[in-house]
Amino acid sequence: VVAEIERTLPKMKKGAIERACIFQHVGLGTASAEVEKRLREDERLIREPLERWPSWLLGMIQINALHRERALEAIERWIADGPMVGVYFAGGLREGYPCSHPNFAPLVERVAELGGIIMQHTWFDTTNRGGPAQSTPSHLATLAGRYPEITFICAHAGGEWEKGIRAIRGLPNVWIETSGFDPTAGFIDMAVRDLSAQRILFGSHLPGRSLGTELGKVLAAAISEEDKHQILGGNLRRLLGPILQRKGLIATPPP
Amino acid sequence: LTSVSVASLVSSGEAAAAVTERKAPAAIVGQRPWKVIDTNLHLFQWPCRRLPEDTVEQLVDKLVKLDIFQAWAGSFEGLLHRDVTGVNDRLVEACQRHGRGRLSPVGTIHLGLPDWEGDLRRCQQVHRMRAIRLYPNYHDYRLDDPRFGELLQRCAQAGLLVQLCVSLEDLRTQHPRLQAADVELEPLPAMMRAHPQAKVMLLNYKPTAGGLKTLPEVPNLFVDTARVEGTDGYAHWLRTWPPSRVVFGSHAPFFIYESALIKAYEAELSDDELLALFQDNALRLLGFAD
Repeated sequence: VVAEIERTLPKMKKGAIERACIFQHVGLGTASAEVEKRLREDERLIREPLERWPSWLLGMIQINALHRERALEAIERWIADGPMVGVYFAGGLREGYPCSHPNFAPLVERVAELGGIIMQHTWFDTTNRGGPAQSTPSHLATLAGRYPEITFICAHAGGEWEKGIRAIRGLPNVWIETSGFDPTAGFIDMAVRDLSAQRILFGSHLPGRSLGTELGKVLAAAISEEDKHQILGGNLRRLLGPILQRKGLIATPPP
Repeated sequence: LTSVSVASLVSSGEAAAAVTERKAPAAIVGQRPWKVIDTNLHLFQWPCRRLPEDTVEQLVDKLVKLDIFQAWAGSFEGLLHRDVTGVNDRLVEACQRHGRGRLSPVGTIHLGLPDWEGDLRRCQQVHRMRAIRLYPNYHDYRLDDPRFGELLQRCAQAGLLVQLCVSLEDLRTQHPRLQAADVELEPLPAMMRAHPQAKVMLLNYKPTAGGLKTLPEVPNLFVDTARVEGTDGYAHWLRTWPPSRVVFGSHAPFFIYESALIKAYEAELSDDELLALFQDNALRLLGFAD
């Protein structure tokens, strides 16, 4: 992870990215068996990036709701008592549940109590290759409908974003994240129209995607400068405020 | 990032300044020694979505705004229409009437239709095109089809570049009734060996982990940059392919034009590499040697 971050940092600097959320595996069935084993044996591997770049990185733990009790323990260890600021429910898992499953209830309730961010990987895969653990924006809408007071982030806007935006637009507590798919024109324009800029978070998807792909979506959109500011930082600052304050971490000031 | 003026992105040169430490090579922010040629553009409407710049007038405005010197334009109509002669005639007329000298038409050839040879002749002899474009995954043939070999032969004789669209949209986001997987390229090396004079350019090619590793070794096979991705995307591309056979392509207006330009500039290429990528390789492809 450290090597990958070192490789990515120059690009983050180029993109003037002031802080980045990284999604760290913590041994909960979200990575390969070998990686999981190493992480469980040596927790320093998880802490090292945050200790090395404390003013730049914000950590979120990747969890799999299949392992509910272990996931709850991880939330206590890494968010309540540790340095992390939220959870990322990963996609592409070999086994697991979509996020409408009851296993998610105690997890999101506890993260919300702690003021952490809740982000769910989503994809409307038109090829139906997602597998049983794949969550769509519709699954997330089902979960979020049960907790109107909790904010949920719909990562990748479902990939097929026209459908993804529609699936969550009636739920003010669901925001979308912008990364992970090609720079298809019109995405941000539709998202701002249907959700407002206040419900959109920028994601870089580094190192898998280019700055051009991800920044271009926002910078080239036919929306106001103020809306771009909100998407590129303002909204995340607002969302992170309470947990950063509680942890004594510093949010970068708005420009 | 929010301190970066978005307005600065309207100029292709200043796109670099906006994302590359607000500082770019003098050649980019000043008098650039190259003109940007975009080899991968389409006119008219995408079948499944209205795009922000899908009228010819809007698209040409964008070319002017981004200082794109020339764009090689195919037609989205060519994907599904069967009167391809009409498709190409409308494309040529639109380029002439609205292109302000910046659009170079690239005709569609549909090998699944009777008398595709007539369309090819018309593209060459009537429209005076220098390139034609194929969509095998929409026109339903494989690259080991004998008609593809015959087309390569005819294009080689006529001096026409063959642009082969490997994909137009990520398979995972396509309309359920319009699923078109990426074109299988396995037969291509053998076909090109059989027609060594043919020049072929892959549009929207994105290599996969299990993909064909020998493609860059095929002489006369070029590739565009529209689907290059990742932190090291361009650098990897230029290590994998001979740099003289990598050509700038945006896949606009389906993809965001600015994204393609930022990707090129974020790669920290040298002025010589940018000159080759944006201009010289494309000119050479069309036979304007050195």
